[in-house]
Amino acid sequence: MKKHRFKKDCASPGKDQVSELLILPDGQILVHNLTPAFAGLLRELNPDDEQISSRVTRHISPRL
Amino acid sequence: MICAEPVTQCRNVLGRPVIARARARIARTMLADCRFCAHDCGVNRLAGENGLCHAGAEAHFFCAQIEVSDELELIPTFAVALSGCDLRCDFCITGASSWNPQAGAGFDARTMAVKAETALRNGARTIMVLGGEPTIHLPAALEFVSLLPETAKLIWKTNAHGSALARELLDGMFDVWLADFKFGNDACAQQLSKTPDYVRIVQENLLGAAEHSELIVRHLLMPGHVDCCWQPVAEWLAAELPGVKVNLRSGFWPAWQAARHAELRRTVSRPENARAVDLAQRLGLNLVS
Repeated sequence: MKKHRFKKDCASPGKDQVSELLILPDGQILVHNLTPAFAGLLRELNPDDEQISSRVTRHISPRL
Repeated sequence: MICAEPVTQCRNVLGRPVIARARARIARTMLADCRFCAHDCGVNRLAGENGLCHAGAEAHFFCAQIEVSDELELIPTFAVALSGCDLRCDFCITGASSWNPQAGAGFDARTMAVKAETALRNGARTIMVLGGEPTIHLPAALEFVSLLPETAKLIWKTNAHGSALARELLDGMFDVWLADFKFGNDACAQQLSKTPDYVRIVQENLLGAAEHSELIVRHLLMPGHVDCCWQPVAEWLAAELPGVKVNLRSGFWPAWQAARHAELRRTVSRPENARAVDLAQRLGLNLVS
């Protein structure tokens, strides 16, 4: 199992977003702290995945 | 100003921000004899003493962003994760920040409220306060609530290990309690999170939360813990909180110090997941995702 982490935390002044994912040997992807942007990326990778599609939100800006 | 009336009547008159502000002040003074969680340490956090959570008087946060991984009815949510926790779950997915109340940046309620309002304008449906465990930072959490719009839908994401005192301060402040019921017996709770008397405390909190807020109960399915943890949790929910929304989460991964426990060195298998869902359906649980 390989864990990818985009950034240590999102509290730093850079205001980066954080999502963590774990890719299992059978192709399953587990995600923690899923952001809208990352949900969109995952849907592009697998448009038929209903679990991700239901979480993709249109018209939302990550800007805070 | 403290309103002695039931909180629903009180809130209609004064409004949530006003009550939250008053309670934030009370909560801050209570840091001198901290009993926010069920560990009931009684330490003086204002004087630099630390209880089991090691939290000081000021809150830190390690993440604040819009997320879509929570329950569908709550997302997109602006999630503010406060650092530190009163539990010591070896499998905690945010262990480094949850076990360290100094992790991240200092929490300024006013600055965070501005970010939250911006998030609402940008499409977030709810604002979620979580941790770590936010109960140990009640003064900061209540101050944050006091600065948010009355109409905002607020979510309290908790481990349900708070004290009765904490529940009183939280009464009526959050629209939804999103509460974990992690372990189905005290032996697993002690072994995996070093928490005594876990089941009774969580059950008390869930029943209390259901009285004054909408409640969603989460159970993170753990490998090797379907029979000992999920089954008793599911049976209790079916018997004591029939119809309550339950989110059975199967996305466990062996994070933090999970490898200390042999059975937690893997993810949940498909047969385990299927068995857990089957049990939930047989018991008639109201599963949400």
